[in-house]
Amino acid sequence: MTQSRLSATVMTRVLLRSLLLQASWNFERLQSLGVAYVLAPALHQLYKDEDLALAYARHLEYFNTHPFLAGTVLGITLSLEETRSQGKTCYLEVKEFKNMIMAPYAAMGDAFFWGGVRPLAAAIALFFAFRGSLWAPVVFLLLFNLPHFWFRVVGLLRGYTLGLRAIDDIGRYHLPDLAIRCKEATVILLGALCAYLCFIALRTEEVATGWGLAALPLVAGGGWLIRKGVSALMLVLTVCALVLSLHHLME
Amino acid sequence: MPWTELSIGGLVAVLVGLDRTAALQLMISRPLVAAPLTGWLLGDALAGLLIGALVELLWLGRLPVGAAIPPDDTQVAIGATVLTLTLGPQLALSEFPLALLCTLVAIPLGKVGQRFDRLARQRNGQLLICAEAAVMTGDFQRIPRQHLLGLGHFALASFATYLTIVLCGWGLLWLLAPTLVGPVGDVGNWLWLVFPLVGTAALLSSINVGRALTLFAAAFTGAFLMLWLL
Repeated sequence: MTQSRLSATVMTRVLLRSLLLQASWNFERLQSLGVAYVLAPALHQLYKDEDLALAYARHLEYFNTHPFLAGTVLGITLSLEETRSQGKTCYLEVKEFKNMIMAPYAAMGDAFFWGGVRPLAAAIALFFAFRGSLWAPVVFLLLFNLPHFWFRVVGLLRGYTLGLRAIDDIGRYHLPDLAIRCKEATVILLGALCAYLCFIALRTEEVATGWGLAALPLVAGGGWLIRKGVSALMLVLTVCALVLSLHHLME
Repeated sequence: MPWTELSIGGLVAVLVGLDRTAALQLMISRPLVAAPLTGWLLGDALAGLLIGALVELLWLGRLPVGAAIPPDDTQVAIGATVLTLTLGPQLALSEFPLALLCTLVAIPLGKVGQRFDRLARQRNGQLLICAEAAVMTGDFQRIPRQHLLGLGHFALASFATYLTIVLCGWGLLWLLAPTLVGPVGDVGNWLWLVFPLVGTAALLSSINVGRALTLFAAAFTGAFLMLWLL
């Protein structure tokens, strides 16, 4: 472990700035300017003059990873920058490390947060919403932001203190496996939610309850059409237009 | 036009819109949160909750991965809520069918958001060039400023999307609502079902879980039969 030189104030500023990592997201180099902005307080403490310019130039190069796992990447980056500023050599250079780690972390973060946690939190909150409870947004925000902030805060701090060993640390969470579990739970919850909504609709319209099972082939057919390239938006508008036309014809 | 309500909606659109990509990402930009928040500020949180739930379900499976820009579901949810709560009293129409109709009108307009978002990201490319120039000249104080200017671009994109949805939606609904609200009200329970079913279909087609359809079918059938028995 390297000797810590960055003060708690600097680390707090880096952490707060990491919440704005994507403020200047662009097609050319994605989060690169954001990385320079987030690391700026630490770079100013570690380097002066020409070395500082070189450090900025290093971090303005192409960079893109998942914003919530960026904490770990940037924490390790700071640790490497610190080693470099002390004139010590490390077996992995800053640029080399970032290029190596950003894509796998982006894939892992996308699958876990966007593909796993967010739909799961939303599926749970939707039960509250369809019962008319205003707790729905609160439940959603709580469920989503607990893992979000854990990875942002702990990731940055552990990345900085553990250095390259933090890569093993994050591996302990088995995020790809967790993402699959979250997705499976989401599908199960959506199945139950759709069943509840179908049941309520049939009861309100006084239609035989058994017709509710027709929703299954409809969902499977819709999924097949979407896989064939039909957009969900087009499907919703077409089905709604069909329902309205049928109603018009039956009047 | 009720300018006060539209202005409140615009303010929420800008602040919450930043949460999509540029700042925090606490997910207050998700329809399930943004729409009830807008509704609450305009005096009817439940109308917002209904709209938010429908829009959330429809785009549950759309992921903001890499350089892909999904439709602006945040502004769709906020715009539909503002339209429902401003047009309802003016046209003396009942809330539930009007909320459904406003959502159906706002959803396609959300595609405009992708274009504005793309423009904002293109403009941000200029900030990067300026930041590089600042590094060359040793003017390090300019780098954070260039970065933070990106927030302005994203805020403008959100506002432009909101304005497009509300203004176009207002025009369309002013013409269509008196005729369509009746039929939409008559079949409202069926239309209400379309969103979760299509949203789930979209999610199942993209979720990349081997036995997704089996799990869905088992959960659906189990829950449905249980409700029937009870």
